[in-house]
Amino acid sequence: MVEPRSGLGAAFARLRSASATERREWRFAFVLLLPAMIMIGTFVAYPFVRGIWLSLSDTVVGSEGQFVGLHNFEKLWNDSIFRRAAQNTVFYTAAATILKLAVGMVVALMLNNLMGFKRILRASMLLPWIVPTVLSTLAWKWMLDPTFSIVNWVLFQLGLIRFRVDWLGGPVMALWSVILVNVWRGTPFFAITLLAGLQTISPEVYEAASIDGANAWQRFWTVTWPLLMPVTMVVMLFSVIQTFADFQLVYILTGGGPANSTHLLATYAYQIGVATGKLGEGAAGSLAMFPVLFLIVLFQLWYIRRTDSGSPKRGA
Amino acid sequence: MGTNRKRSTRWDLMPRRRFLTGAAVAAGAATLSGLPEIVRAGQAPAYPKGTKLHLLTRINFIPAGDTLFIQQAEEFGKQMGVEVQIERIGENDITTRSTAAIVAQNGPDIIMMQNNFPHLLANGCADVSDVAEAIGKEQGAYWDLSRANAFVGKQWLAVPYGVLSNTMNYREDWLKEAGFSKFPDTYEELRVVGKKLKSMGHPVGQCFGHSVNDPNSWCYPFMWAYGGFEVEKDGKKVAIDKKGTLEAIKLNTAMWKDCFDEGGLSWDDASNNRAFLAGSISVTNNGASIYFVGKEKFPDVAKAMNHAPNPRGPAGRFYHMATHSSAVMKYSKNQKLAKEFIRWYMDKKQYEPWFVAMSSYMIPPTKVWFDHPAWTKDPKLTPFRDSIKDARHLGYAGPPSAKASEALAKYIIVDMFAKAIQGTSPEESLAWANGQLKQIYGA
Amino acid sequence: MAMVAGGRWKRWVCLYLPLGAFVVITLFPFYYMAVTSVRPDREMYIPWNRANFAPFWTLKPTLEHFAYLFRETLFVRWLLNTMIISTLSTAISLFCGLLAAYALARLRFPMGGTLGTSIFVTYLVPQTLLFIPLGEVIRNFHLGDSLWALILTYPTFLIPFCTWLMMGYFRTIPKELEECAQIDGATRIQAMIRIVFPVAMPGILSAAIFAFTHAWNEFIYALVFLSSATQKTVPVGVVSELVRGDTFFWGPLMAGALLGSIPVAFIYSFFVENYVSAMTGAVKG
Repeated sequence: MVEPRSGLGAAFARLRSASATERREWRFAFVLLLPAMIMIGTFVAYPFVRGIWLSLSDTVVGSEGQFVGLHNFEKLWNDSIFRRAAQNTVFYTAAATILKLAVGMVVALMLNNLMGFKRILRASMLLPWIVPTVLSTLAWKWMLDPTFSIVNWVLFQLGLIRFRVDWLGGPVMALWSVILVNVWRGTPFFAITLLAGLQTISPEVYEAASIDGANAWQRFWTVTWPLLMPVTMVVMLFSVIQTFADFQLVYILTGGGPANSTHLLATYAYQIGVATGKLGEGAAGSLAMFPVLFLIVLFQLWYIRRTDSGSPKRGA
Repeated sequence: MGTNRKRSTRWDLMPRRRFLTGAAVAAGAATLSGLPEIVRAGQAPAYPKGTKLHLLTRINFIPAGDTLFIQQAEEFGKQMGVEVQIERIGENDITTRSTAAIVAQNGPDIIMMQNNFPHLLANGCADVSDVAEAIGKEQGAYWDLSRANAFVGKQWLAVPYGVLSNTMNYREDWLKEAGFSKFPDTYEELRVVGKKLKSMGHPVGQCFGHSVNDPNSWCYPFMWAYGGFEVEKDGKKVAIDKKGTLEAIKLNTAMWKDCFDEGGLSWDDASNNRAFLAGSISVTNNGASIYFVGKEKFPDVAKAMNHAPNPRGPAGRFYHMATHSSAVMKYSKNQKLAKEFIRWYMDKKQYEPWFVAMSSYMIPPTKVWFDHPAWTKDPKLTPFRDSIKDARHLGYAGPPSAKASEALAKYIIVDMFAKAIQGTSPEESLAWANGQLKQIYGA
Repeated sequence: MAMVAGGRWKRWVCLYLPLGAFVVITLFPFYYMAVTSVRPDREMYIPWNRANFAPFWTLKPTLEHFAYLFRETLFVRWLLNTMIISTLSTAISLFCGLLAAYALARLRFPMGGTLGTSIFVTYLVPQTLLFIPLGEVIRNFHLGDSLWALILTYPTFLIPFCTWLMMGYFRTIPKELEECAQIDGATRIQAMIRIVFPVAMPGILSAAIFAFTHAWNEFIYALVFLSSATQKTVPVGVVSELVRGDTFFWGPLMAGALLGSIPVAFIYSFFVENYVSAMTGAVKG
């Protein structure tokens, strides 16, 4: 991806002036890329184009629809549930990502300081991240059950609450509960990856900073944070992609309720498409996520590349 | 099945039809109505070896009903020389699978659809009028609700299978303790009783989350009882913005504070069952499943509880009931066999033992069963039977339509109540629902 | 790095205690899954505010929930299905991703950068948009109701990921390595297969683990594309057949969740170091 972007015209120009060796290299590249291209072309590109068509049509399940232009998007724009889901999604993504980064960073720093147990801790910590989301979310649903909640019991026994907390009930609480489950699931990925990043920073850098009289806090912001930036951006990138399009967690935990307090774009689009059979509108709802995600990711990719070329290159 | 045939003599309204001759057998497969006789005669029409019939249904809350149904399917399969596969999944996933199957043009041959999904998925369902009308004729006509949800345009797109009734489940012992001899008849009275019960530590429990049955079964009737309804007779003009609807929302919100368990906002269909059986709530709107599980696992609770009709409001007493009906999918290559299977399990000889095994958890779709002794064997279950007379279809007062299912699937009515509970003003909640319904019906 | 200097107690307050708390919170749901799966029903359904609510252990453990799982559902079949689907889709994705990553990272050809980015972008297309059209593709290929429906659709989100991860890894391998081999008379393909791929093994392994867990985790496609009871995956089987609307199901449900988690956890425990080092390689690439 470091390759400078070149317009089509430039590409053709190069095509014409290419030498035999170059041509052989291109052919080789083409052959190598072919399997991936076939798979992606068949199972993503075609359905994607078809999905875009659906979003511009009034297709309902079982019959091919007519072209209706941007009508579906217009309808969604005026739909208060959709707007709510969009707000929820943005808030959910932002809050969950920031929390995961903060907690993950702290845990990574602590682990980096630890002498023993590192292996076992690292291995067991990853469990939430690798276990299928629906399965662990079911466990959370049971832990947060209003009548049988162990979480309430623990908090009550510790004297932290006097009445039960209705984790998935109130409009604000429900969304936060969903966010917390996401944070629980995603933090290990942040922590382990950031730890991997931390271990590549040589101790001499810190020693130099210490000699300059920097305290731990200053050392973190002046040394660790900037050096970790590339790693941080990469984990953020993946977290944002997955969190923004999150579906399973809400589908299992609340179904978007109560009163749409926890509906995300993915769950609402799914509800429209599947539960009401309006495939066109459902596709429009899903597609609405794409440009936003695309822009966020484009920005992140750009940022990663910029820091990449700014920092001293490793390896090649 | 033999035992049940003997038992039901008194009540047997259907004349046994033994008119099929050998010549009629070949035609019998086409006329369908004669099928059970063919089967009994052991002259099943030949289906290619290895023919598979796949039926998708929800996991029944009464396990005994499923066990019997699967046995019956096996028997049918044996007699027809085909393999019948009964797939049972959670009710919330039925719609997903139906939609996906229609898109992929591949999947179960028969799908047991809930509510008015035959309207929503009309393009994917085959015409089953012959089977539906034959059964209707035989069993004394369908209840209006069953018909409304399965009859689309001019044809039956599904054969009604049963109606799931929700009425009020309550603890008699606690009600007495609170000084009330019988279950309240109106919502206003329920508020008074519930307030007392809650003060004694036994709140009323009701769910308002996104779940298929219970939230809807509470919210729609409440709205109807106060004179609110979704849409005018023409099925186009949204009519929810009424004083009655507003009153219902206000009363429900007041009841939430006075008498409800505050966990209800995040409950699903199973939560109130658990809470009731665990003894943390005293009253809830539910099917008979609490009672049945109670009899098996929590006998004290089953003994102390009873059922009562839904409360009444100024406009009357109403029920929203989940109907179930068997749809034969248009893409199926075994449509004929599928219809024969439906015809077979809906036939009284199969349906009756099933109905008895379900112990009145499900109301049969036809009227002939109303006087069946199973209803009165346990008087605690009788209120379920009577509820069907006050059932209303979704999208009342308009005709049954896919738009009503859209409103249902988006939980517009439930969320209207839930929003108010969460602190939105009743007026605003109503305006929100009005706007949403206008979008749905206006399109 | 001596961020936490000072006395013993300071190490406890700033390091051991918070880290301990974090680990407890992280692992607690799994413990609770395990306890719930052996708790008898009568004990399970006691409201949290009752005196006899004892959530942390059970004195009368039972295996009835596991028995239910194996007797009444096709759980073993689901496990097997998930295993087959995850393994094959991972293999396909690795194959495609490996070759594509090599081309994108090592060869110079027009539009290479754009191509790399666009492969990555396919990772962003929401599944909720794709599953309806994909249903049609599956219909056209007559894949409906077979495990192949998932084996061939999972690579759609696995290939971009594998490609990206391995591109990063390939970049960390010095070009001189191949050039030396080519000088020694190896062809480009030989150099790729014999020299570069073995060196990249840790990266390949980590991409494999990642893809495998991703496939194991998938839910929407599995829910939508498989239509018979014998072909479900664990997540779908557990959700659609064990969440029984109106009745008590938490015991078997948690038993299923526990058993469905163990295989991935097991595989991970072997390769966790590998994964970490590869991640480091990839992110620094």
